[in-house]
Amino acid sequence: MNFFSVIGLIVWKDGLSELRSRENISSMFFFALLTIFIFNFSLPLDQRVAQTLAPGLIWIAFSFTGVIGLGRSFLAERDNDCLEALLNAPVPKGALYLGKLLGNFLFMLTAEVLLFPLFILFFNLEVNANPGLLLLVFILGTLGLAALGTLFSAMMVQVRAREVMFPILMLPLAVPVLIAAVQATAGILQGSPWAQYGSWISLLAVFDLIFIVIAFWTFEFILEG
Amino acid sequence: MCVTRLYASIESIGREITWNSSDLKNCIENSFPGLQAAPAPPARGMIAVEHLSKEYQHAAVLRDVTLSVNAGECYALFGANGAGKTTLLRILATLQRPSGGRFFLGGVDGVAQRDAARQLFSLIAHGSHHYDELTALENLYFSIRLHGAKPDEDACQTVLERVGLGDFTASRVRVFSSGMKKRLAFARAMLLRPAILFLDEPYAALDESGMALINTFLAEHSEAGGTVLMTSHNRFMTAQVAHRVGIMEGGRVNEMGVAEMRRRHELF
Repeated sequence: MNFFSVIGLIVWKDGLSELRSRENISSMFFFALLTIFIFNFSLPLDQRVAQTLAPGLIWIAFSFTGVIGLGRSFLAERDNDCLEALLNAPVPKGALYLGKLLGNFLFMLTAEVLLFPLFILFFNLEVNANPGLLLLVFILGTLGLAALGTLFSAMMVQVRAREVMFPILMLPLAVPVLIAAVQATAGILQGSPWAQYGSWISLLAVFDLIFIVIAFWTFEFILEG
Repeated sequence: MCVTRLYASIESIGREITWNSSDLKNCIENSFPGLQAAPAPPARGMIAVEHLSKEYQHAAVLRDVTLSVNAGECYALFGANGAGKTTLLRILATLQRPSGGRFFLGGVDGVAQRDAARQLFSLIAHGSHHYDELTALENLYFSIRLHGAKPDEDACQTVLERVGLGDFTASRVRVFSSGMKKRLAFARAMLLRPAILFLDEPYAALDESGMALINTFLAEHSEAGGTVLMTSHNRFMTAQVAHRVGIMEGGRVNEMGVAEMRRRHELF
């Protein structure tokens, strides 16, 4: 089976399972919604302050949402020992990683696209942003989080205290992605010129590339344990 | 190596001059006392295990296990809980690495060439390897495509009917009982037709008709030249299909003939 067919097959399997169970997306969405509610009621924000804090709050909600979804991404593989079947399949293990990554990325992005309008509504944000650029930052930031999260989720799948260990291991490494994503989002939301935030978007793309390449090469060793 | 080749050459000549290789071997060793006879390379079976060992935190689970299973043979492993049957099977199915020794599947080194070895076998273990949210048919599609074959809906349907799941093709595996999941796992094996089948407790969770179905399939698989290595606690069902039997005790395998096992346990 060729490399890209394996990726497609994993995405098909994860997508179909998620479409039927809605376990990941619903838990991610409602957790993020709760976070937005809490921020909204606990921080007495006028529009100017909200505009300043919004990028950080958005990425806090997105990253926590990611932790919930990504932490569960390999649990379906653990049920019925499906991970053994994947391990024994005569396919490149890197393709399995990319398939899982793509599935996780799509779930996270779906939750984010649903949440962002609610964020604007609750915080009464004035958005002067270029929606295409904002989507690009969301895509790159989410891809970075998903790349790390998928790898650590595979590492943690057999660990008993994985709910504790997963965020402890993943979030510190995600800091560069989060900083770059927050800075780029702030620049875009405030309608700043490209020169002020363009470098953050480039940095985000570089981090994504580094994380994906490292995870791609190490995935087989992690899976083989 | 050189000595082995020398023996082989001499043996081929010896056939013509009516000498046999053991005479020559003795002759050479008597004439050259320092020259030790090199062991001849083993005639490897479809599954060849050589001096395999496994330790968990300095506790030996497998000790110097050596066995060979030929193509078309069904080899059954018995033993008490914790005897190391599943560990041996998991090592051969490349899910764990041995602490020592080596093994070959169809002549392929199972430690050094894992990916090549994985193309030769299927494992049916305690977990059914199926996704709960997919239907029986979708699970079969997924497994078959993952193994590089093209799924044929008619073939899948026929096999599902054969294992008694004909009415459940569109049902999600989530609602299946353990026995139904086991039947689905055998449906997968029937479609993939691997050269080697590793079975860990194949009769567990199955009713009598299920066990009979498995035995029919295993007999067909052996007749077609397929190799089976299974662990079991069900001596009665296993004795109907096994050609050879190994008893695992203290991390070692002691072979016993099937007839001997039947006699000892008064199975028939």
